[in-house]
Amino acid sequence: MGTLITVIRYEILTAMRDRLPRTLMIVFLGMIAASSIIGWLTNQTVTAVYNQVLADGLTTAANPFSGVSPLRYMSNTVIYMILIGALLASVAGVQASLRDRKMNTADLILSRPVSTVGFLAGKLLGQGTWLAGVLLVSAVTNWISISVITGSVLDPTGGAKILLFYGIGWVFLMGFVSLGMVSGLRSTTEATALLIPILIWAVLVFVVPQLGTAAHPVSLLNPVAAPPSQGGFFQLMNNFLGPLAVGEHFKTASSFLLDTGQTASIASLSFAVIVIFALVAAAVLLATPRNTVRSALHE
Amino acid sequence: MNSLTVHFGKEITDIRRNRFFILLLGFLTLIMVISVIVSALDFRTKMADYTLYLDALVKSGSTEVPPAPPLYPLQLLRGSIEYLELLGALFAIILGYRMIAKDKGSGTTPLVFTRPHSRFSMSGAKLLATAAIWGTVVVIVFVIMVLALIGVGTAILSPQDFSRVALSGFYAWLYLTFWSALAMGLVALTKRLSTGLIAALVIWLIVVLVIPQIGDTMDPDNQVPGGLFKSLQIGKADEVAVTAHFSGFETARDQIEISSITKHYERTTFAFLGIKDLYNQQPLGDVWLALLPNTITLAAGFLAAVAFALLSTVKRTLLRKES
Repeated sequence: MGTLITVIRYEILTAMRDRLPRTLMIVFLGMIAASSIIGWLTNQTVTAVYNQVLADGLTTAANPFSGVSPLRYMSNTVIYMILIGALLASVAGVQASLRDRKMNTADLILSRPVSTVGFLAGKLLGQGTWLAGVLLVSAVTNWISISVITGSVLDPTGGAKILLFYGIGWVFLMGFVSLGMVSGLRSTTEATALLIPILIWAVLVFVVPQLGTAAHPVSLLNPVAAPPSQGGFFQLMNNFLGPLAVGEHFKTASSFLLDTGQTASIASLSFAVIVIFALVAAAVLLATPRNTVRSALHE
Repeated sequence: MNSLTVHFGKEITDIRRNRFFILLLGFLTLIMVISVIVSALDFRTKMADYTLYLDALVKSGSTEVPPAPPLYPLQLLRGSIEYLELLGALFAIILGYRMIAKDKGSGTTPLVFTRPHSRFSMSGAKLLATAAIWGTVVVIVFVIMVLALIGVGTAILSPQDFSRVALSGFYAWLYLTFWSALAMGLVALTKRLSTGLIAALVIWLIVVLVIPQIGDTMDPDNQVPGGLFKSLQIGKADEVAVTAHFSGFETARDQIEISSITKHYERTTFAFLGIKDLYNQQPLGDVWLALLPNTITLAAGFLAAVAFALLSTVKRTLLRKES
């Protein structure tokens, strides 16, 4: 237990000092701060567009945005978690492994009677703690900005929903931390180690959803999950590959938590997919052979 | 044979022997071709639905024939172009990084510089090799995509369609070489290789993903699944009339978008291929003239990145030890 805590503490310390994740963290937090303003501006315009449409007598449909939750202002946060958050998590994971391999730290530690699983779990938990800190700052930023925009302090239910959103976001990002760590442990060069999780991320976020929905890659950068396309091929692909589209599942789960449309029954599948994704990635990491963890990186 | 030609030959051989990069290019080609196939299948599904609807109408005794969904084959390339702008840029950064990183610490560069060299022979050769690699890749990828259009999409292409594809390919080459040159310059200039790579990745994240995403999500029509105007059952003409009332917001959105070179590449290519409705089936010359400001920006970015790489990849930076 003592070793585990030492590894966790060391990992938090080095994660905070590492320049690459820190740079991405600054971009991430900056965009989280900006997302509420973007959400508010867009919401104001959309409401004005609807009022204009109504005034011109072009529709009799109800305003799709009347009575929407104030949490809607953070809808852009969802996409920043998928874009910047997932990259930040992957890169943090890669660096966590590469640091040890470059300095031969892992080799030295594992020359002592320390279990490989315990060591890797400690590193993963250390990264997870650091990431939880980043997400906590994001949650507080969202809570403050929504309170400022609406002119009243966000109620405890809204606050709890923000925390739940970041809770599932943390699980989602931990999957990418694990992927990054695996890549960092198994790659022969730094560039390859960084690129492989980014490629996996691109496949999960763009290619897999496109095969099931026929949505274009750029439209998948929208926080609203793409609806499944009709037609035998797409339905078949959606059935087979749908569970792998973790980015789309994160959008669906977030939509339920942030009161922007999805029901609990649809979102429950997405929650399960995200948790399974994180568990599988962590299991792959923890199953890394001792010799691989001890291997040094010489470029 | 001058030193530029010798260096150029060496750079090409290095890349040919880099299996990982070849794999990356294969991956890029694969997802771009898959995208064309997916779009073609999606169109076929819509056409089958239309035929079914038409049959039902005829059976019910209706004489009114609704228009068939229009097929403009080049529009099927949209997803592929988007992959090129997102992931192609990333792979271009990796190529630019490799151009500098592969020689660092190998001992070859100091040895080469013991011989007399012109100032830009090495950087010029690296840039020429980058341009040649992207030229070859773009030709291969676009030829395969056209074959997929004809084969899977059962498209019939006119000679002008081929010109549109060729022009799009040339812009893709400009865009990809821009990213490689930028990464090359950044990696050469920084004391640590990883710092240059980090800087290039952060720029990629902001320019390729974040800025276009902000513009996309600020679009009022994207606020409802399937589109706001469609959900309110409003036609295209009325949509244009309504959005004209919000020109200030649209201008702000446009300004955000055009701060990204990716959007200039996207707008020109989408216009040439007729993906943007406004330019669909318009004469190529007119489209080119209409998009001239975007072309100038893209070309200026390309030249600036090439000059940056040329000036920063010099003896002093190449021989600098990593700190």
